[in-house]
Amino acid sequence: MTADGQRPAVPTTAAGQEALGASDDEWRRVHPASPFVRGWVALAAIVFFFGRDIFERLLQGQPIFEEGLARRAPWLLAGGGTVLAVAVLGFVLTWYFTKYQVSGGYVRVDSGFLFRQHRQARLDRVQAIDIEQPLLARIFGLAELKFEVADAGESAVRLAYLRIDDARRLRATILAQASGAVPAAEHAGNHAPEAPEYQVLTVPPSRLIGSLLLSEQSFFVVLGGVATVLLSAVTDNRAFYFYLVPAALGLAANYWNLFTKGYNFTAAISPDGIRLRYGLLDTQAQTLPPGRIQAVKIAQPPLWRPFGWYRVQVNVAGYGLAGNAAAGNTRTTLLPVGKLADALNILALVLPDPGTTQPDTVFGAGLAGRDSDGGFVTTPRRARLLAPLAWRRNGFTATGTALLIRSGRWWRELVVVPHQRTQSMALHQGPLARRFRVADLVLHTTAGPVSPRLVQAGLDEARQLFDDQAARARLARTRQTTEQWLRQVVPPAVEGPPNAAGVAVAGSAPAAPTNHQQEGPQHG
Amino acid sequence: MRTEAIDPPGIDWQRVSPKYVTVRLVEWALANLAMVLVLSLPLGFVLLGWWSWPPLGLAIAVPAVMLVVALWRLALIPRQVRAIGYAERDDDLLIRSGIFFQRAMAVPYGRMQYVDIAVGPVERGLGLCTLKLHTASPGTNARIPGLPAAEGARLREQLAARGEARLAGL
Repeated sequence: MTADGQRPAVPTTAAGQEALGASDDEWRRVHPASPFVRGWVALAAIVFFFGRDIFERLLQGQPIFEEGLARRAPWLLAGGGTVLAVAVLGFVLTWYFTKYQVSGGYVRVDSGFLFRQHRQARLDRVQAIDIEQPLLARIFGLAELKFEVADAGESAVRLAYLRIDDARRLRATILAQASGAVPAAEHAGNHAPEAPEYQVLTVPPSRLIGSLLLSEQSFFVVLGGVATVLLSAVTDNRAFYFYLVPAALGLAANYWNLFTKGYNFTAAISPDGIRLRYGLLDTQAQTLPPGRIQAVKIAQPPLWRPFGWYRVQVNVAGYGLAGNAAAGNTRTTLLPVGKLADALNILALVLPDPGTTQPDTVFGAGLAGRDSDGGFVTTPRRARLLAPLAWRRNGFTATGTALLIRSGRWWRELVVVPHQRTQSMALHQGPLARRFRVADLVLHTTAGPVSPRLVQAGLDEARQLFDDQAARARLARTRQTTEQWLRQVVPPAVEGPPNAAGVAVAGSAPAAPTNHQQEGPQHG
Repeated sequence: MRTEAIDPPGIDWQRVSPKYVTVRLVEWALANLAMVLVLSLPLGFVLLGWWSWPPLGLAIAVPAVMLVVALWRLALIPRQVRAIGYAERDDDLLIRSGIFFQRAMAVPYGRMQYVDIAVGPVERGLGLCTLKLHTASPGTNARIPGLPAAEGARLREQLAARGEARLAGL
């Protein structure tokens, strides 16, 4: 993706070519205020530095300016002015040299004036596209556009900051070109219109708070608190309470963070993909194009069971590698907390074609069932000593489009891997498992919170699955012929409920193979 | 202990070069002998009377146990090397390894992003190389060690050609 200075020739048959208006070919700059929005920390530090000084003097009853100031004033002014001028010049230069272009099936971003950087990303390789609005940018009506391109190295291409309308328009343009949807003739020269969307679910704040209070984390908090009190009582030492203060602060910050991130969570479906919006102060809008999700996990911690809540997390190429764990965590969460119907709705968005005639039975059994409900194959009885509680839960079943792996008696989990997303897989068996004639099957997927592993399947079943799964994945790969999803799938009807909107795989994808063959092996 | 292998039946496995045992021996010597030597230091100090703790029994037991484990692993090396195998099927490459902890892995040609060949100093002396396959998943830890250099080059070309033909997206 990152070509050092040289620009590869624009592919002549790139689908978006004819869709491009003349206005799209020109190089554009980001909003002039963006370096200031990004560099506000530095400016705030300067203000804080001087402000604190003055504030302290006021408190101490000293005059705001000391007597010697008149002598030093010119130096101070000159020094401060120079620092400010250098900072502002830096900002202006950064802004001047940051340019972007959407053209010929590529997005290109140039940045830096000392160390020039030129990045380009294939539009049909866009895995996900986010609009982020930190609080300050939100005040100014600006937004950052960030798109993930599956790539071995650095993943995200970011454009910070654009006016929010521009960001939305650019997102629509990128998605329209990425999907292979050629805008109608009257739109030539204009930007693609934003795809209509249909809201699927929202998470009410009360449920979010409840889910946080009953999360796994809270369990350990209570455990730690009880342990502390007990220790203090037994050892007659009050010092333990002091350890609680920083711990409580950290936890409060963590809960606050989870709350602001999950606040006002909304999921919607549009032909462009799944739209997720959330955030209290910093808002974020994610778009996940269809078919970009590598694996899904639906989990239910024990404390959530009385309420029937579930959490849905996904692996998306590029997301897993992103920055700090907390940011990655919220971005890979497709549903922070929701009822069974919400979870199944989300699953229907991710996997439009469940590949079975009774999706409710099969997925319901995957979430809550045991033994052979819904056609699951569980750990054989002979191996029940290896997992005395979970052996009736641990199991798998395959539908026409995905492999379902369920596990956990108390910490229920259902992992769904679409056949066409299987990268590679492996059978594992240790000495103990060999005594019981069981084996584990690991499916490899891109980095992320979901790591599909079928534990303790019977040896014959596992071996059979190993072969079958290879065959299914091969079949699914031959069906998936192009990265431009509108070319191979019928767009879902956004008016209806998403369950009804079956996305059929067109058996004969036209014009796909030629486009497909151009991809270099490094993109694979 | 003769046990049933976990890999799919009816596969004609290609085995790696027996010379790879030498590479493993060198690696074993570097890792384990150094470890045993370090763990023997307290024993030496105790014997010389420089240290009063640990007691002599413990000072002997720790390196002795380590030595036994190391020798056991040494004895396993030839069998482990014989257990490594690979097979080119129509659509994927199968790799198996391990005796106690067995693993059989299938990497579809269409999913391969790139193929590495690495040659260490000992391997170079023996004319061997290690082939490594990468997919989009960091979990794919597919390596075939101890290939003769010519076979490694052939396999790489073969895999690249097949990958090109069956290339799939993510």
